[in-house]
Amino acid sequence: MFWAAMIGILVALALALVRAIAGPTVYDRILAVNSFGTLTVLALSVIGFLMGRPDFLDIALVYALINFIGTIAVLKFLRYGDFARATQADDNDLV
Amino acid sequence: MDHHFVIRVVGKLLIPLVLLFALYVQFHGDYGPGGGFQAGVIFAAGFILYGLIYGLDTLRRVFPPWLVRLLVAFGVLIYAGTGIASMILGSKYLDYSVLGPTAAKGQHYGILIVEFGVGMTVASAMVLIFYSFAGRGRQTGEDFGEIDSEDRRDRPDG
Repeated sequence: MFWAAMIGILVALALALVRAIAGPTVYDRILAVNSFGTLTVLALSVIGFLMGRPDFLDIALVYALINFIGTIAVLKFLRYGDFARATQADDNDLV
Repeated sequence: MDHHFVIRVVGKLLIPLVLLFALYVQFHGDYGPGGGFQAGVIFAAGFILYGLIYGLDTLRRVFPPWLVRLLVAFGVLIYAGTGIASMILGSKYLDYSVLGPTAAKGQHYGILIVEFGVGMTVASAMVLIFYSFAGRGRQTGEDFGEIDSEDRRDRPDG
């Protein structure tokens, strides 16, 4: 069962890698890298159960968080060219 | 155009979870995967996410640079102070066995305190690295000590 899931995840990883290399625009590549990270989280969880070490779930959780933050950072750098500015001109409305 | 509403709401939901998970990795490190360095990096990632969403100036107000510098040094002080404490209690430097009533308990306390110091230093250093990278080319010299304007004029990159 876990082996079948692992093979499916590996196929999806290969497809995401193809898109990351071939992607015509930079947003295709970012999307591919992001989904690669999500699939890595799944692969880590499955590996944890395959090897009988559910501790791997902690590592998968960390990977999910760091992957999200990394994607946000890359997107912000592409959009604005620096990390320092706020995402909104004035801080007090809406939120 | 600049109203990134989704990312702000998701960030607000996610940042407490990141910090909580960092504390879990820190203090559960003796039973599962983890430890001071990893916990420090995750804790700093929470602050960096806050800085990415709300801007560097807001992050500087939340976690002021003088406090970051203080915590970088204070974590090392905790590490070294544990070693000195075990010397005072009559053993070798960083020999945790004398810190508790039994040797096993003393080693448990010792590794927790030392890892706490490591986590504090690593988290502050990561935030400091983010300050230096994100604040590049801006008119603040406050991250690296009290550089007054006279001093800064002499430096080519200040």
